[in-house]
Amino acid sequence: MEPISRRRFLATTSTAGLAGILASGVPPARGQQREISYLCWNNFAPASDKKLAEIGQRFTRDTGIKIKIDHIAHPQQAAKYASEVQSQAGHDLIEMRMHFPWLYETQLVDVSDLVAELEKKYGKPISSAVETAHVKGVWRAVPQYHTFFIGCYREDLFKKAGLKVPDTWEDLYTVGKELKKMGHPVGIPISQNYDTISTAGPVLWSLGGMEVDKDGRTVRINSPATEQMIEWYKKMYRDCMEPEVLSWTDASNNTTLNAGKSGWIHNPVSAYIVARNTKLVTADGINHHRSLAGPQGRHETDVPRHIGIWKFSKNAAPAKEWIRYLLGKREVYDEYVMSGDAFNLPVYTSLLDHPVLKTDPKFAALKQEGVQFHAYGWPAPGSDKVQRITNEYLLPNMIAKAITGTPTKEAVAWAEKEMKRIISG
Amino acid sequence: MAISGVRGGPAAPRSGLRVRELLDHERFLGPAFVTPALLLITLLVAYPFCMAIYFALSNSFIGRPSHFIGLQNFVTLWESDSFRQTFQNAFVFTGAAVAIKLVLGTTLALLLNQQLWFNRLIRGAVLLPWVIPTALSTLGWWWMFNSLYSVVNWSGIALGLMDPPGPNWLGQKYYAMTAVIAVNTWRGLPFFAITILAGLVSIPRELYEAAEADGAGPVARFWHVTLPLLKPVMAIVVLFSTIFTFSDFNIVFVLTNGGPINSTHLFATLTRQIGLESGQIGQGAAISLYLFPVLVFVVWVQLKFVRRQVY
Repeated sequence: MEPISRRRFLATTSTAGLAGILASGVPPARGQQREISYLCWNNFAPASDKKLAEIGQRFTRDTGIKIKIDHIAHPQQAAKYASEVQSQAGHDLIEMRMHFPWLYETQLVDVSDLVAELEKKYGKPISSAVETAHVKGVWRAVPQYHTFFIGCYREDLFKKAGLKVPDTWEDLYTVGKELKKMGHPVGIPISQNYDTISTAGPVLWSLGGMEVDKDGRTVRINSPATEQMIEWYKKMYRDCMEPEVLSWTDASNNTTLNAGKSGWIHNPVSAYIVARNTKLVTADGINHHRSLAGPQGRHETDVPRHIGIWKFSKNAAPAKEWIRYLLGKREVYDEYVMSGDAFNLPVYTSLLDHPVLKTDPKFAALKQEGVQFHAYGWPAPGSDKVQRITNEYLLPNMIAKAITGTPTKEAVAWAEKEMKRIISG
Repeated sequence: MAISGVRGGPAAPRSGLRVRELLDHERFLGPAFVTPALLLITLLVAYPFCMAIYFALSNSFIGRPSHFIGLQNFVTLWESDSFRQTFQNAFVFTGAAVAIKLVLGTTLALLLNQQLWFNRLIRGAVLLPWVIPTALSTLGWWWMFNSLYSVVNWSGIALGLMDPPGPNWLGQKYYAMTAVIAVNTWRGLPFFAITILAGLVSIPRELYEAAEADGAGPVARFWHVTLPLLKPVMAIVVLFSTIFTFSDFNIVFVLTNGGPINSTHLFATLTRQIGLESGQIGQGAAISLYLFPVLVFVVWVQLKFVRRQVY
C-alpha cells in the first residue's frame, strides 16, 4: 500500500469532516456551546456586581450556556446603547434603567412571556416598573429591581433638638429651619442632575401638579400647583438650605450627609450603607423615614431597573434562560437582592416585604406595601418626548431660575414654552 | 539575466523587476504613498463627516427609520432656549479662553526662553496639564471647586481674599463659566507656550542685537522684533486652539454637566444630551454641525493671514 503523506492525510480528513458537518447540519461540540453577553451598570452596591459574577458562573455550570458580564458606569450607558443599536451589534442582554425600554422600544425583544412567568410566581410588578418597561401594551424589558427615595436624616440631631420626624413637605420646612440654625441644613439638590427631579417630582405630585398630562401631549406645568411648589422651594432654599445645592451632582447629598454637614436629605438608602460599611462616625446617627406627603397625597419616586434583549441578538433563547435563572429562581433572586444591602429591592408585589429589610433595623422605613411609585414625567407615558423633558432638566432649571431671582410666573412660563416646544417637535 | 540567475526561477524576477520599474515612475510611486493616508482619511474623517451631514438633514432617531427633512433640525434648534444659550456660551467660552491662553502662553514662552536653572525639567513640567487625561485632571479640579471641600475657597478664606463661605463656583452662572474657562486655560496653556517657544527660538539673535544697537529697549524689541516674527506661529496656534476650544467636552461634562441653568453648556455637551441621551441623533448631529460654516470661515481667514505673513 502506498504510504500516506501528512499533507494528504490532513487534506482528506478535514474534507471528510467538513462534508460530515455539512451533511448532518450539526456543528461540532465546540461550535454548539452557546454563549451570551450581558451589559449592565456599575452597581452603586458593588457587592451586587460580585454576586452577579458568581451567579453567572453557576448559570454556566448548570445550563452549559457561557455568559460574559460587562459593566459600565451609568453616565456612559446611553452612548453605549445608542452605538450598539446603530451598529446592530454588541451585547445580547442589557440592563436598562427607568424609561430606556420606551426609548429603544423598536429594538427590544417582546419579553411578555417572561414577565407573565414571574408574575405567576411573585405577583404583579410595581407601578413604576409597569410605567417604564411595559411599552404600548408589550413588555419590552423584564423588571428586575428598584431603588427608591426616602427621607434620610440625622436621628441623633433630631433627638438632640427635640425635632419631630417630618411626615409632609411642610413639616420638613418646619424642622429644616431648626436644622439650618444648628448648622446642619437640609440638602435637596437644585441643579442639572436626576436627584433634583427625584425630589421635585414628588413635591409637585403631592400638590396635585404635573408636567404633561396622561395623554402625553397636553403640557400642564403652568398651574397653581407648580407655583405652590416653587414657593415651597423658595422658602426651603432661603430658610433651610445653603446655596451650594445649586451646584450639586447626584452624589453630593450623600456626601454632605455622611460628612456630617446635612441634617436631612431625600435619597435612597445608599448614603447610610456607605457610612455603615466604611465605618463613618455619622453612620450611627443616620436613620430613614418614608418619603413625604402633601395636600394631594404621598407620591414617591424610584429608579426601576430592567433587563432587555436586543432584537439583533442571535441568542434570544439562551438570553431568556439567563433572565429565568437570575429572576425566576426564587433562591437566586433572593441571593442577588440580599447582596445589594437593601439598595436593590424586588419589584414584584409578593416580595416587597423582603428578608433583606430585616438585616438592619435602619431599613425599617423601606417597607413598600401600599406605596405608589411613579417614574419621572408621571402621569405622562414615558415617550421619547417626555424623556427629553427630563434630559433637558426643565423642572430643575425652572426651580433654579425662580429661586435665583426670576419671578415665579416667568419661570413657569419659560418651562411651559420649552415643554410645548419639545412635545410639538 | 543577472537577477534571474540569483533568484533561480524564471517567473519571480520578471514580476519583481516589474514592481521595481513601476516604483521608479513618479505617477505610480506618488499614489502608492498617498493611498494609505487617503484611505485612512476617507474612513476615519470623510465617512463620519458625511454621516453627520446626513443625520443633521434627517429626523434620525436611534434605531428607527428616518427620512430627509432638509434644514428643519437647524430651524427647530434655534427655537430652543437651551440651544441659544449654548450658542452664546460657546463664543464666550472660546473667546475668553483663547485670549487668556494667548496672553499667558506668550508670557510663559518668553520666560521659558530665558536661561533658567533646570530649564529642561521646567519645560517638561509645563507640559503636564497637556499630557494628563482631561477627564482625570478635570475631576481634580471638580474637587477643588466642590462646594463642600473647595481648596480654592479654603485657601482664599485663609489668605483673607474671600469672605466665608467663598464663591459658589459651580452653582452660579458667572462663577461656573469662570471655572470652566480657568480649567480650559490651565489645560491649553502648554500648547500655546511650547509652540510659541519654538517660534521664539527660531528668531535670529542678530535681529535683537541690531535693534539693541539702535537703542531699542526690551519693550520695543518685543513689539518690533518678537511679535511681528511670532505672528504666523501665533495665528496657527490660535486657529487650532479655537477649533479645540469650541469643541471641548470633557471639562464642562465633568465640572458642571452644562449647568447651572445651561449656562456652561457647549455644543459637544448639548449634542450628547440631545443626540445620545434623548435618542435624537438628527438634532444631535445638527448641533455639532451648527458652527461648521463659521469655523470654515475662521480657518480660511486665518490661513490666508498666515500665508500673507510667510510669503
